Amino acid sequence: MISRIRALLGKEFLDLRLNPSVFLPVGIVGIMSLVIPFMIAVVVPAVTGERLSDSPDFEMAIEQQRVRQTPGLDPEGAVQVWLFEGFLLFMLIVPVVVATGISSHSVVGEKRARTLEPLLATPLTTFELLAAKTLGAWLPSIGLALLCFGTYIGGIALVAEPGVVSALLSTRSFSVVLLLGPLASLAALQATVCVSSRAKDERSAQQWGSLIVLPIAGSLIAPFLGVEMTLAIVLTGVAVLFVVNVVLMRVAIKVFDRESILTRWK
Amino acid sequence: MLAASHLTRQFGDRVAVEDLSLELRPGEIFALLGPNGGGKTTTLRMLAGLIAPTAGTVTLDDEPVTRDTSARLRQRVGFLTETPGLWDQFSVRQNLLVYARLHGLPRPAQTVDDAMEQFGIRDRAHDAAATLSKGLRQRVALARAMLHQPQVILLDEPTSGLDPESARGVRDLIARARANHRTVVLSTHNLDEVERMADRVAVLRRRLLALDTPAALRQRLFGSRMRIVLAQPAAPLAAGLGLHGVSVDGSTLSVDLAAAGITTPDLVRRLAAAGADVLMVAPEEPPLEDVYLRLIQEGASS
Repeated sequence: MISRIRALLGKEFLDLRLNPSVFLPVGIVGIMSLVIPFMIAVVVPAVTGERLSDSPDFEMAIEQQRVRQTPGLDPEGAVQVWLFEGFLLFMLIVPVVVATGISSHSVVGEKRARTLEPLLATPLTTFELLAAKTLGAWLPSIGLALLCFGTYIGGIALVAEPGVVSALLSTRSFSVVLLLGPLASLAALQATVCVSSRAKDERSAQQWGSLIVLPIAGSLIAPFLGVEMTLAIVLTGVAVLFVVNVVLMRVAIKVFDRESILTRWK
Repeated sequence: MLAASHLTRQFGDRVAVEDLSLELRPGEIFALLGPNGGGKTTTLRMLAGLIAPTAGTVTLDDEPVTRDTSARLRQRVGFLTETPGLWDQFSVRQNLLVYARLHGLPRPAQTVDDAMEQFGIRDRAHDAAATLSKGLRQRVALARAMLHQPQVILLDEPTSGLDPESARGVRDLIARARANHRTVVLSTHNLDEVERMADRVAVLRRRLLALDTPAALRQRLFGSRMRIVLAQPAAPLAAGLGLHGVSVDGSTLSVDLAAAGITTPDLVRRLAAAGADVLMVAPEEPPLEDVYLRLIQEGASS
């Protein structure tokens, strides 16, 4: 079983190497998620000569303790921590975009290229096929999310106020990047696979699959609406996504019906 | 060996295959003939364990092909799909290597190299599949279907759309598989190909209309006829014979031996005794196309 999963996984990685354009959407999202926070927290104050902590809105936020005062950080550093923590949630959308992009390419693309039927004619089981397809999209998505996170932290270390980086390297941040992000990406992936199995054609599969990004995108706005993404909320999200993933895994195997994929899609 | 018993497959209200039974023999080439939409591909997919029958069973070496056993049994079956289904951006070698590994072959690289040699594609090993001609793509797909030395090879229209040279190349490879005691099931519209290669033929139009050797089907539908060419006009001699089932065309006689109630040596003796100069005696074989069309028409009318 492992050897067949590894064989197909190798094929998936080779496919990605030969189709780097799959990474274009995530390149755009990744660059946006890196550029926007630095523009707001560092570039704009530097260009205007006005510190963020001097703006009336942030002064009020600090007074109302919506922006937490961290020991050893001046008010400007505290505002930067608040902003960079908020934008850290962008790191959630990176693996989700990669995963849905790759999975719609790998599952639907196989059918479109008429390469799925020969594959299904091998001893490959449905579980093995789904495992390889899922890992083939999930592992690169995690890798890229970690690369973005590393770049994000590296950039902050270079240009932000002293002490901002150490304030950011918290259990909450690592939970977001190492747990919430991968689980969200896995859920999106499995949902795309489920949709692909039941959709009548590849276009509707892709359209329904892309809708899965929306709830994740919604969570990005939360911090800016005053909902603080505390460690407890993040861990609750992790627990919920874990359960969702277990359910989706069962559903994916059940609905990935070889027959309907072979006979329904023309 | 692979066998189907009372196979029926429905898609919604539409019945694609109905009550099909057949048993394949080791080392034979078995042709599935039928019109478009006649159920050939559905039959092959059921035989390959890709789709389950609505009713009936498929067995391989007496073991039923079910949802639980199909993955394991597919190890013994090779399937060439209607389209080659190669990963276009992968090289020929990369395409085959993935399948060698999926089949768990012990030395995948060596097996692939040997297969490329055997199928005459070694010189294109590192070319992307997208750059290959249709004939070469089909060769690669055939190599892929036979990579794991399956005991049964199912081929869905293997020479469709190929030029004559490529088609012959593919036919040679199929013949080689038979020589290696593989059982080959061939779905095709190419009657000439069936004539040349098939040991047995099944004519399918949703239901099985006929199953036999091409010669037996011919005899069943058209009887056993002899064609006799004479040196002189045949009409006066035919009249003198006083036999039923005789038709005349110039100096050629066509005799239905069963209707005439006579054997070939007796017929020749009687013609010679009547003063005929017999130039040639040969069995008259209507083309398989006539057999096929007759069966399809009979199937439609019934």
